Amino acid sequence: MHSQVIAKQELAAFVENLLRQGEVVGVRRKDGKYVFDKIGSPGELCLDYDVTVLSPKEYFLPQREAFLKFELAEAIKAEPITQAQRRIILGVHPYDIKAIQLMDAVFSKDNPDPNYFRKREAATIIGVDCLNPSPHAFCASVGTATAESGFDLLLTDIGAEYVVAIGSAKGEELLQKHAKTRDASDGDLSKGKTARDEAARKYQLSAPVSLDQIPRLLEENYDHPLWEELAQKCLSCGSCTMVCPTCVCFDVQEDVALTLTTGERYRQWDSCLLEDFAKVATGENFRQHRSTRLRHRYFRKGKYMMERFGIQGCVGCGRCITACLAEIASPVDTYSRLKGGS
Amino acid sequence: MKPKVAFFDFTGCEGCQLEAINFEQELLDIISAVDIVNFREAMTERSDDYDIAFIDGAISTERDIARIKEIRGRAKILVPIGACACIGGINCLKNFYSMDEALKIVYGDDAKYYDTIPARPIDAVVPVEHYVRGCPMTQSEFLKVVKALLQGKRPDIPNYPVCVECKMAGNVCVFEKGETCLGPVTRAGCGALCVSNGRICWGCRGLVDNPNADSEKEILKKHGLSVEQVLSRFRMFDGYSEVAK
Ligand code: SF4
Ligand code: SF4
Repeated sequence: MHSQVIAKQELAAFVENLLRQGEVVGVRRKDGKYVFDKIGSPGELCLDYDVTVLSPKEYFLPQREAFLKFELAEAIKAEPITQAQRRIILGVHPYDIKAIQLMDAVFSKDNPDPNYFRKREAATIIGVDCLNPSPHAFCASVGTATAESGFDLLLTDIGAEYVVAIGSAKGEELLQKHAKTRDASDGDLSKGKTARDEAARKYQLSAPVSLDQIPRLLEENYDHPLWEELAQKCLSCGSCTMVCPTCVCFDVQEDVALTLTTGERYRQWDSCLLEDFAKVATGENFRQHRSTRLRHRYFRKGKYMMERFGIQGCVGCGRCITACLAEIASPVDTYSRLKGGS
Repeated sequence: MKPKVAFFDFTGCEGCQLEAINFEQELLDIISAVDIVNFREAMTERSDDYDIAFIDGAISTERDIARIKEIRGRAKILVPIGACACIGGINCLKNFYSMDEALKIVYGDDAKYYDTIPARPIDAVVPVEHYVRGCPMTQSEFLKVVKALLQGKRPDIPNYPVCVECKMAGNVCVFEKGETCLGPVTRAGCGALCVSNGRICWGCRGLVDNPNADSEKEILKKHGLSVEQVLSRFRMFDGYSEVAK
């Protein structure tokens, strides 16, 4: 992987060119926070943000997505829908890049998900190193503050310029065609490294146990009273999972037209924290109690993902900590409490 | 055979019935899928023969009680529409006064000509099959219920809080903007309409099945509301429920 350097004013020209290629999604301000959204001009773009409200997962797993349309005539006709829009996603932080890699693992297992991968293939990911971490993030302690792969291009702000790491042939071509750059010198690369190292020291939170210890910590504390204590406060609102870049559960439903002759099957974000998540047709609910749902989330992040995919289920973005009004969704606090008590 | 559908109004602004006429795209499809036999807002014919009765408005007089029981006796399926019918809605604000006081405030010297009882939702008087919630009722939910009834299925109405839809909409949380909100305990289905348009959720769709109201109240207090303010928040639409007491 080699790197280039682009001057900041040249980046604007690069973005202009990208906008001519098609849809560009980037980070912009909204109500004092940041969100991923379609952008119309380079000026709207924000590259020194801390964290966005939602991760970019919606561009691969939309909140609601029809995947089958059907006709209820004499003979039932059904046709899959796999839509994908060519799109450049600009300004993805390393932890979100890692979360996308995790989604790749989930959606390729057993039965590769065509809807997901169509979108994935149609997307170009231009990352940016996170130099102003959110006060709730703990990426440096879980190895997600930087990314070596999973992007087409990755920018690092080194003052008047960005170092651009090239992560794929697609990224390289984009840069060659549409940007004015120069080769990165050793000095530029070391400036980039310094910027990342400094950023790593800015994290205010860190995971209290190393990643490989989390599965055991959870296992030993399956019946810990903490789960019930936290559940007293839990609203079962699902916010912690909606904002999470690694939560990928969805519900499948059908919508039939009033004429009852056509319809579509769609999937929609779901959450294991919601009361009806594990309810089945007979009315039985396998995780009826708040505490079991709340506990499940931690087990899924800390243990099950590791066991099934060999990847940690939490990238430390801290969005759940920000989103949880009851202040109980923090992996850092929860692991500390379990560790303290075990 | 097309199901026969009737609309009836009780205490409310009838805005929900207007919402039912206000369908632009789907109105013709609705009319061809069902036979509307009773709809004061939209037609003059009347019939006492119907399968599905949609009810808007709350129960707030003794006469209302007799009338809703009669309708219940005729309808195979009874569906309250809108906040007043589903949860009592703003009508229940008066329940925090004595009825004499309420009559006096509203009718002054003419109070003696009126009777009134504490306002209540339809299901406080007769059993109902489904609900179309919201103030005014959520149109997409009305369609969902109609479609489900046509298919003989149970409509799948969200039993999760507005937060879910609010997050999906990509909103910045109201609490992060320094305000407070009933979204965490209010049943979704509106697409977080109010918050998405810069407001807060007042809970017009009622509570989820098992709201953690104690936790929500603590959160509201932590964000600066007094106990009285917390209760009056819940009383806006949901004064009939336990959480507002
Ligand atoms: S669990 Fe929380 S910190 Fe971890 S990835 Fe999800 S939102 Fe981020
Ligand atoms: S842990 Fe917090 S954010 Fe998650 S469902 Fe419970 S209250 Fe909501």
